[in-house]
Amino acid sequence: MADKGVGEILKGARGEAARAKSSADLEQVRVKYLGRQGILTQFLRSLPSIPIAERPEVGREANLAKAEIETLLGERLVELKAAERRRDLESQRVDLTLPGRRPSPGTLHPLTLVQDEVIEIFLGLGFAVAEGPEVESDFYNFEALNIPRDHPARDMQDTFYLSEDVLLRTHTSPVQIRTMQAQPPPVRIICPGKVYRRDADITHSPMFHQVEGLAVDRNISMGDLKGTLELFAREMFGPRTTIRFRPSFFPFTEPSAEVDVRCFLCGGEGCRVCKQSGWLEILGSGMVHPQVLRNVGYDPEEVTGWAFGMGVERIAMLKYGIDDIRLFFENDLRFLTQFRA
Amino acid sequence: MKVSYRWLKEFVETDLSPPAVADRLTNAGIEVAEAAPLVAGLSGVVVGEVEAIEKHGVCRVATADRHFTVVCGAPNVAVGVRAAFAPPGAALPGGRQVQAVRKRGVLSEGMLCSEKELGIGDDADGILLLAADAPLGSDLVTSLGLDDWILAVEVTPNRPDCLSVVGVAREIAALTGAPFRFPAIAVKEGDADIATLAAVEVEDPLLCPRYAARLITGLTVAPSPPWLAQRLRAVGLRPINNLVDVTNYVLWELGHPLHAFDSDTLAQRKIVVRRARPGERLTTLDGQDHELAESMLLITDPERAIALAGVMGGANTEVTAETTSVLLESAYFNPASVRRTSRALGLVTDAAYRFERGADIEGLREALDRAAQLMADLAGGTVAKGVLDVYPSPRPHPRIPLRLERIQRVIGICPPREEVVRILQGLGFAVDEAKEPPDIVVPSFRRDVSMEDDLAEEVIRVWGYERIPSTLPGGSLALVRQPATLRRAARVRQALAAAGISEVITYGFVDPERLRLLGWDPASPDLMTLRNPLSRERSILRPSLVPGLLEVVATNRHRQIPDVRCFEVGRVFRSGGPDGLAREEVRAGIALTGLRSRRVWHAGRDTVDLHDAKGAAEHVLASLGVEEYEVRGSASPFLEAGRSAELVVGGEAVGWFGELALGPQEGYDLAGPVFLAELSLDRLGALPPRRVRYRALPRFPAVQRDVAFVMPQALAVEEVEREIRQRGGALLKSVTLFDVYAGKGVEPGMRSVAWSLTFQAEDRTLTDEEVSALHAAILETVTNRFGIAVRGT
Repeated sequence: MADKGVGEILKGARGEAARAKSSADLEQVRVKYLGRQGILTQFLRSLPSIPIAERPEVGREANLAKAEIETLLGERLVELKAAERRRDLESQRVDLTLPGRRPSPGTLHPLTLVQDEVIEIFLGLGFAVAEGPEVESDFYNFEALNIPRDHPARDMQDTFYLSEDVLLRTHTSPVQIRTMQAQPPPVRIICPGKVYRRDADITHSPMFHQVEGLAVDRNISMGDLKGTLELFAREMFGPRTTIRFRPSFFPFTEPSAEVDVRCFLCGGEGCRVCKQSGWLEILGSGMVHPQVLRNVGYDPEEVTGWAFGMGVERIAMLKYGIDDIRLFFENDLRFLTQFRA
Repeated sequence: MKVSYRWLKEFVETDLSPPAVADRLTNAGIEVAEAAPLVAGLSGVVVGEVEAIEKHGVCRVATADRHFTVVCGAPNVAVGVRAAFAPPGAALPGGRQVQAVRKRGVLSEGMLCSEKELGIGDDADGILLLAADAPLGSDLVTSLGLDDWILAVEVTPNRPDCLSVVGVAREIAALTGAPFRFPAIAVKEGDADIATLAAVEVEDPLLCPRYAARLITGLTVAPSPPWLAQRLRAVGLRPINNLVDVTNYVLWELGHPLHAFDSDTLAQRKIVVRRARPGERLTTLDGQDHELAESMLLITDPERAIALAGVMGGANTEVTAETTSVLLESAYFNPASVRRTSRALGLVTDAAYRFERGADIEGLREALDRAAQLMADLAGGTVAKGVLDVYPSPRPHPRIPLRLERIQRVIGICPPREEVVRILQGLGFAVDEAKEPPDIVVPSFRRDVSMEDDLAEEVIRVWGYERIPSTLPGGSLALVRQPATLRRAARVRQALAAAGISEVITYGFVDPERLRLLGWDPASPDLMTLRNPLSRERSILRPSLVPGLLEVVATNRHRQIPDVRCFEVGRVFRSGGPDGLAREEVRAGIALTGLRSRRVWHAGRDTVDLHDAKGAAEHVLASLGVEEYEVRGSASPFLEAGRSAELVVGGEAVGWFGELALGPQEGYDLAGPVFLAELSLDRLGALPPRRVRYRALPRFPAVQRDVAFVMPQALAVEEVEREIRQRGGALLKSVTLFDVYAGKGVEPGMRSVAWSLTFQAEDRTLTDEEVSALHAAILETVTNRFGIAVRGT
C-alpha cells in the first residue's frame, strides 16, 4: 500500500467521486478511501515505516489529501442529493390545481354578525351593554314607558301575552327602565336582544332582534342624538352616508324622530329597495319623555336624555340585500353559509 | 286615511303641488305614504245622454254635437239618463283604448262605463249615472272633479286631529304659511224647539262628558248628489244615501264621528246615556248580536239599548229608506272606555278609531251643525230650533308656560321668539305674551299636548328637524365592557363555528305536539304558554333548544341537505321566575347528523356519532375554561337509553349529550340518527372562575411507554384510567388513550384499549430500571383489579 503515492491516491479518489452516480455510490467511495480499512487510512497507518527524514513531508501531504478528499466528498454529496431529490419530485408529480386541504369552519348567523357590529360601534363610543328578561311584565314593557292600558299606542306593538300582566317584551326598552331604576345618572347603555310582536309577513317576524340605546346626563340634547346616530350610520353603512331626521311619535319620547339613511344602493336616486324615495328608514329615536324619567325617579329638570331603537333584521336586510325576513329563521344552511365574516 | 287634494284646497290656499304637499307633511311628522292621481289613464270620457233605446241593448247616445250607436246591456240604462260615455278614441284605466267594434251584429261606437271601468269605484253592476244637469259633452274628469290627487296619510296615534281634511289642511297652513279657512257653518233652524220634541239624559258623565243632539224632520231619503257621492268614493267610502253619506262626509271633513238615529223609532224621543245592565243585548248595524258587559257605555232610549256609545249604532234605530226624521248625535266619549268596548266586541269602526284617540270635545258642535244643515239641504228637511247639549263640566284649556331655554336645552337649538310664536299660533295655539315665560293655551283638538316638551316638539317639527345641529354628547369617561353573559355567549359561538358547526337562530316558541313527541307534557305548569299565539305551532315558550334544532335538521333534510352540523345559543323558558316572570336560562344547543366532514377529496366518508356530540360539548366546556367534569348516565325521554349522559361539573349538572331516540327521529321525519348536546351557559358562568397559573417547563427527559389491555366492552375506560393514574403517582405525568379496537384478534365482547404513559421526574433523570419497575407495577395492579389481561401477553 505504502508504495502507492499520495498523489495517486488523491487522483483515484477524485475520479471515483466524480463518477459516483448516487449518494450510496459515494458512500462506497468514502469507505474505500477514508474508512477504517480505507486506502488513505492505511497509508497514514504505514507512515512509521517511512524513512524518518521523508516522514514529515509525506505525512503533511497525506493529511492534506485527506482533508481534500473529505471536502470533495462533501461537495459531491450535496450535488448528488439535490439531483436525487429532483428525480424523486419529478417521478411523483403533484397536481397543483387540486383543492387545498382547507379546514371547514362553521358560520355565525348573519344576525349575530350584524348585532355584534352594532354593539362594537357603540362600545367604542363608550356605551355599556345591558340585558334583561325576554318575558316581561306589563309595567316594564308599557306602563313605565308611558303606554297605559287602553291606549291606542298599544296598537303600534301587537303583543304576545302569557297572562294579564306578563308578556313577551315588544322592545328592549324595559331594559332601559330596569337600568335607570338600578343606578343614578349618567347612563349610557345599549340593549341588544330578542323581542316579539304578533305579526308575520315578509317584512315582519313574530320574533326579531333589536338594539336600543339610551343616554341620560345633565346636558344632553337632540343635537347629540343626531350627531351620535350620524357617526353610527357612517360606521355601519360607509363614510359618505347621510341621515335625515323626521318627526314621528313614540309614547316614551318627546320629541320623537324617525331616522332615515340616504339609500346606499341607488345613492338617493330612487330604486326598488327605497321605494323610489331615496331614503331608507333604519330606526326610531327621540328625547326621553319627562314622564319616563320621573317613573324611574330621575328629575327631568335635572337631566335630559335620548333613546333610539333599531331592528337588527332591518339593518341586515339592507346590508346584505335580503328581501324576506323569514329567511333568517328558516336556517337553510345554503343561506346561513353565505355570510362568512 | 285617504285625503283628497281638492277637498284640502277648500280650507287651505296652497299653491304647492300634491307631491310637494305630501313631502312637507311627511317632513313634519304627518307621514304621507303615497300621493297619487285619483284616476290614471282616463281621457276622452264625456257626459252623454241616452236619447233612445232602439231595441234591447242598443242605445242612441248624444253628446254636445254628435250621436252614437252604443251596445249596452246595463240594468240601469234608461232613456233620458246622463251617464259616463267613452266614445271611440277615449282611454280607460289600464291602457284600454275604446274603439268602434261590432257587437251582436251592430257597430257599437263607444261604451257607457261603470264606476269600475272608469277606475273610480268598485261598482260594476251598472253604468255611472250623472246629474241630469251635467253639461252634455263635457269632460267627465273635470265635471266630476276627478282631476284630483289622493294623499294616503298615516296618522300617528297622538294626532287624532289629523284624521280629518280640516286637520290636515291646518297642518299644511302652519307648515307653508298659506291662509287656513275653517268651513263656514250656519244652520237655518225651523220654528219648533227641540226641547219640546226630544230629550237627552246622561247618567254617566265620566264616560260621556258631553252629548249634543239636533233633530231634523221632513227628510226624504234618496241617493246623494254626484258631487257628494264622488267625494266619498274618492276617499274610499261607499255612498249609501243622503243621510248616512252626510254623517260620513262630516266625519271625514271635520274628524268628528256622528250618529243618526231614526227619531221615529226612539221611545219618547229620549236619549239616555248609561252603562249596560246585566244580561243586556244589542244587535248592531252590521247585524251582529252582542252580549254586553256592564262596563260598556250605551246609548239607550227609555226602553232599550240603541247604540254602543262611540262604536256602532243599533239596528233597531237605523236610518232606512223610509226615515223622515233624524236625531243626530255628536258626542264625546271617554277614549279608554270606547277602546275597551271596541276591543271586547271586536268592532273596529271609523268612529271608535277616532274616539279612542280622543275626539275634539269642543269641535263637536260644529260637526253637528255642519251635518244638520247638509241633511236639511240635501234631503229637504227642517232643523229644529236649538241643540240638546249636555256638557256639565266644560273642559278647561290647559295653559303651559314655555321657556325658550328649555327648547334650547332639549333640542340643542331654538328658533327666535317671533318664530316660535308664529309657529304655535299657526297650529291653533293661543300665545299669552303678557306672561314671562309666555303662556301657551292649548286648543281642544290638541289633546296630545300637555307639557312643555310637547310644545318644544311642535315648534321644532314645524321649524324643521334638519336645522337641529349634529353634536356629540360630552360627559366623563366610564369603564365599558361587554357583560360576562355576552362574552360567554360570544366565546362559545366562536368556538363552535371554528369547530365546523354553524349557528342557527330559531323561534322562541314551539309546537306543543313537537314537545309531546319529545316527552314533555305540553299542559305542564312548568311550561309557559302564550295566550294569543299566532298559531298553535308557535304557542309554547321553548323549554329547550332541541325542538328548534330538530326543525332545522328537518328543514334542511327536506331541501336535500342531509348533513347538518348546527348550534344555537339562546334562552329557554320555564315558569316560576321572579315577579311572575320566567326562569330564563341561556343555553348552547348542538345538533349533528350525516357526514362528519364536508365532502372533499381528502376526507373520509364517516358519519357523525355520539362522540362527536360529546366532543362538541367538551369543546364548549373548554372554551369556558372547564377541563374537569364527570359523565353521569342519565335517562331522558327523547334520547336513547345508554346513549346519553349528563355532564357534571363540581357536583352540578351543566348539560348533557346523547343520541336522539327513534320515536322523535321518525316523528320529525329524519333520515338518520341525530346526535345532540345542550349546555347551560348560565350554570357554567356561575362556576368559580379558573385561575391560570404558569407551571415551570420540565428540566429532565420524559420516558414514554405504551400499554394495551384486552378488556370487556362493559368495562368503562374511565375506571381503568383512574386506576392507572392512581398507581402511577407523581412520576406518571400523563395518560393518553390512543387506540380502541374490537374485531379480528380480539375475543367477542372484548376490546383492546391502548394508553400511552409518560413518566417524568422533576428533580432527576429517571433510570430505565425505575421506569420499568413502575410500569410493571401499574400493569399488575390494573390486571389484578379488573381481571383483565395486557394485550400480547
